[in-house]
Amino acid sequence: MATNLSAMRHVRGFDVVKPLSITVMIVVMLPLILLPLASIFIFGTGKGLASFWAALNAPEAIFALKLSVVTSFWATVFNVIFGLFAAYVLTKYSFWGRNAVIVTISLPTAIPTAVAGFALLLLWGPYGTLGRLLDPKGVHLMFTAYAIILANIFVTFPLAFGVIKPVFDTMSRSLEEASATMGASRWQTFWHVTLPSLRGAIVSGALLTFARAVGEFGSTILVSGNLASRTQTAPLYIFAKFNEGQVEAANAIAIVLALLSFVIFSILFFARDWFDAD
Amino acid sequence: MDIHITPLDFGKAAVTVVGLSKTFGKVTVLENINFHVDEDEIVVLLGASGSGKTTILRIISGLEHPDSGKVILHNRDVTDLPARERGTGVIFQSYALFPKMSVAQNIAYGLKIRRKPRKEIRETIDRLLELVHLEEHRKKYPSQLSGGQQQRVAIARALAYNPEVLLFDEPFGALDAQIRAKLRREIRALLKEIRVPSIFITHDQEEALELGDRVAVLNSGRLEQIATPFEVYNNPETEYVATFLGAANILNGVVDGRRFEAGVVTVEVEQESATLKPEPAKLVVRPEDLFLRKPENLTQKYQRLADGTIKEVSFIGAFERVVVKMELPEQPTFVVTRPKTETAAFPLRPGQKVTAGVVRFRILKDKKTRNEPKKRAVA
Repeated sequence: MATNLSAMRHVRGFDVVKPLSITVMIVVMLPLILLPLASIFIFGTGKGLASFWAALNAPEAIFALKLSVVTSFWATVFNVIFGLFAAYVLTKYSFWGRNAVIVTISLPTAIPTAVAGFALLLLWGPYGTLGRLLDPKGVHLMFTAYAIILANIFVTFPLAFGVIKPVFDTMSRSLEEASATMGASRWQTFWHVTLPSLRGAIVSGALLTFARAVGEFGSTILVSGNLASRTQTAPLYIFAKFNEGQVEAANAIAIVLALLSFVIFSILFFARDWFDAD
Repeated sequence: MDIHITPLDFGKAAVTVVGLSKTFGKVTVLENINFHVDEDEIVVLLGASGSGKTTILRIISGLEHPDSGKVILHNRDVTDLPARERGTGVIFQSYALFPKMSVAQNIAYGLKIRRKPRKEIRETIDRLLELVHLEEHRKKYPSQLSGGQQQRVAIARALAYNPEVLLFDEPFGALDAQIRAKLRREIRALLKEIRVPSIFITHDQEEALELGDRVAVLNSGRLEQIATPFEVYNNPETEYVATFLGAANILNGVVDGRRFEAGVVTVEVEQESATLKPEPAKLVVRPEDLFLRKPENLTQKYQRLADGTIKEVSFIGAFERVVVKMELPEQPTFVVTRPKTETAAFPLRPGQKVTAGVVRFRILKDKKTRNEPKKRAVA
């Protein structure tokens, strides 16, 4: 058997194992990843492009997409700025509890999104620890767009930090020291020396955060209230329409979200080198 | 040692450090360091790793603060100023060029920070690129340059803002041996041309001797000696300096009047080494100052040291290296280097009996105050 196999491996200089292993790989991926994605497109455009456009143009659908983009945008802005700041502080200073802070920042990765949403409700909800104090003043965070932003921030919190911190770690300290000896203030050094080296990481971190936030479901469904044209994001819209049996409506949005993530991941894949090029 | 210095004393020097001390935790890194660097002068701080040389450089540039002592740059006490207000030019070992800036942008950085007019910046870049022969690399990024070119950019970048002093942190450490020698000659020539006071740090004695107008030898945070390369090599003041800079044969004995005595050995010493009463001392002889002869052939030119037996003869290129076991109380082995003229006239082989004579040597009197440091710093 062993001799058979080794004889099989090379037939007149042709390596059989190569096409075989590639085929196995593709066949495994087909039902798990590729076919589900393909069926969105096949099904969504099955009744013609006209009905696809109609489904997309429904006011509720447009609102859901806009809400997703806007809430994800603000969550991204916050998390990139905070991630950058936290990475800077945690690289530059060592202090008691530093590792605990790093673990805490990374923690949301491990927390189920439904738990995250529930936790936010318990804090900010009308009967929540803090929400109880705000409620009499007429401030209601939960079941608004702000709740969605809060949920997005929580869920995507570690992503930008996780991309930026390693770049800080590998950055030579002598660059900042050189800048200081040349007369630059801390801010000038950060702006002219540190930040340019982080460009690639910031863009990747932002794209990752945005992509993850746009698709967020588990936490948003709890904190948003899922009110159509008020607090319904795109993933919630897909879920709602599917439950109502309007599969085409759900499908149209699914296509848009899938395409959006394709675009983001293409940029992530190809643009990083471009941003980091010296 | 008490130090009382009035500002007038710093008059001519470009850099003066007075009584610098520094500890990191429980480790003493620097102990009362005093020296100065004149205008146009190159001083090399030479020491093993952990000798504190890097810390001195970082204190002068303001990247580190001393526990005590002062740093004076051109008559200005900068001890309490942050690095950015001192105006030193540091050339880091890794060069620390800004990777996202072109060569021209790197050079312009110090001037941009100082908000100089564009025209002045452009002219300075042109002038410096010409000085360091990098005109055609103006638009390149650091990663596209060789190590030597990067170093020249680092120097140009520091020169752009007319630094008080150039500080080189092991500038040749990252380069291979052949380029090192060539580059240090180029840089010395360049520094002599532009006349900017400079401090180099290195652990390479050959580099120190070739590069410096003066060499400061550091040992475990203490300054052992600072003098011209000729002086530190030929007239070392401590055993450490004698052995760190080149090889040295050392014999323990006593100086009494104008005589050095070690067991059967008696050597006449110069007036300046003479003592009034017997004092313990060391006789230091460089391998090239020790001469081996047949016992009957030692001429009057040499002072007889002792007889010995050849243990080992090895060919090391320009010289022959001979190890001799001396017939002395401690039976030390001495190292002798012999030029070609001598190896041809008097070939040696292991086992042969010889007499060793000296012409030139150094007497080091034991200094009771020079205790070995309790802890060694690790940099």
